[in-house]
Amino acid sequence: MKSIIIGGGKVGSNLLKTLKERGYNVTLVEMDEETCRRIAEDISAVVICGDGTDIDVLKDAGINEADIIAAVTGKDEENLVICQIAKKGFNIGKSIARINNPKNISLFKALGVDQTVCSTEVIADLIEYEFDRDICKIVQTFDRGAMILVEVAVNENNRWLDMFIKDIVLPSECVVASILRDGKVIFPRGDTQICRNDSMHIITNRSTFPEIKKLLHDGGAYAKKKK
Amino acid sequence: MYIIIIGSGRLGRMLSEELTDAGHNVSVVDRDSKRLEALGTGFNGLSVKGIEYDNAVLKEAGIKHADYVLSVTSDDNLNITVSLAAKEIFKVPRVIARVNEPQKKSVYELLGIEMINPTELISYIIKGKVEGSQR
Repeated sequence: MKSIIIGGGKVGSNLLKTLKERGYNVTLVEMDEETCRRIAEDISAVVICGDGTDIDVLKDAGINEADIIAAVTGKDEENLVICQIAKKGFNIGKSIARINNPKNISLFKALGVDQTVCSTEVIADLIEYEFDRDICKIVQTFDRGAMILVEVAVNENNRWLDMFIKDIVLPSECVVASILRDGKVIFPRGDTQICRNDSMHIITNRSTFPEIKKLLHDGGAYAKKKK
Repeated sequence: MYIIIIGSGRLGRMLSEELTDAGHNVSVVDRDSKRLEALGTGFNGLSVKGIEYDNAVLKEAGIKHADYVLSVTSDDNLNITVSLAAKEIFKVPRVIARVNEPQKKSVYELLGIEMINPTELISYIIKGKVEGSQR
């Protein structure tokens, strides 16, 4: 499979290394000459020095035969333009854009960029995940957060402990899908009681997730009160 | 007419002056407050500081009732991104962008963005003068 990476910063060069190791046919496009030289010395791959938003440069990089294009420069407008060229000019099946500022995610989506990865958001999520690890975490994300599967561990700090499903007050856009107890799956009904060491699976979306976390944690106030 | 000018550089400032004098409502957007200040006290339109293609910034500049968006910064990618947002998201009736790098013209064409290519225009004019003086 032929792929093109645009942007030779930390993200681009590491991506090039990874894809090369996996045996992909990859070409990298980077504007800065010095950076190009450094990458070419380090990794044996085709490195093209040029402006990735220039159609002629993209043609040199082999955009006509490319299956995937990854725009990972540090500038969001540049990444957007690259993905638009790939889509409208060359009918590339898959274009992936790095987004630096999470505020721009909706713009990329509205302009039809297939796949976006927001590094800032990913890092913030990972850090948040470390905070919440003991009680709830996102197991799977579907359609960029339109639907997520959340796992909730039931321990003594969980305010739902010993409650019945029907008594839990939940936001409207979420549902308790299953409970894992002693390796067995329980399909919860209203009269199912939540026990210690249960693992609950909740289906919701990214915008409702903070509400659920708030319900569970209350900034730790609930756990303190109990003690 | 309500006109939004993106970029408060030399061209943006001159345009805003000309269009305001002609009686149009003008708002200017730029991420650099120093460049906005350079509009001077004579400018009585709206000036908005922020990332030029940001939803909230464009809305503050009044994009919902704009007749024209003129994207005239010195960065082609910025002009293209703003033009696409104005055309495809906010459905502004007319969007015109400035081309900086002449070889980027094909990108504007590909994405269906109406453009002005100053380098090309100036070279035509100069060429005309040179040839005119030969006669």
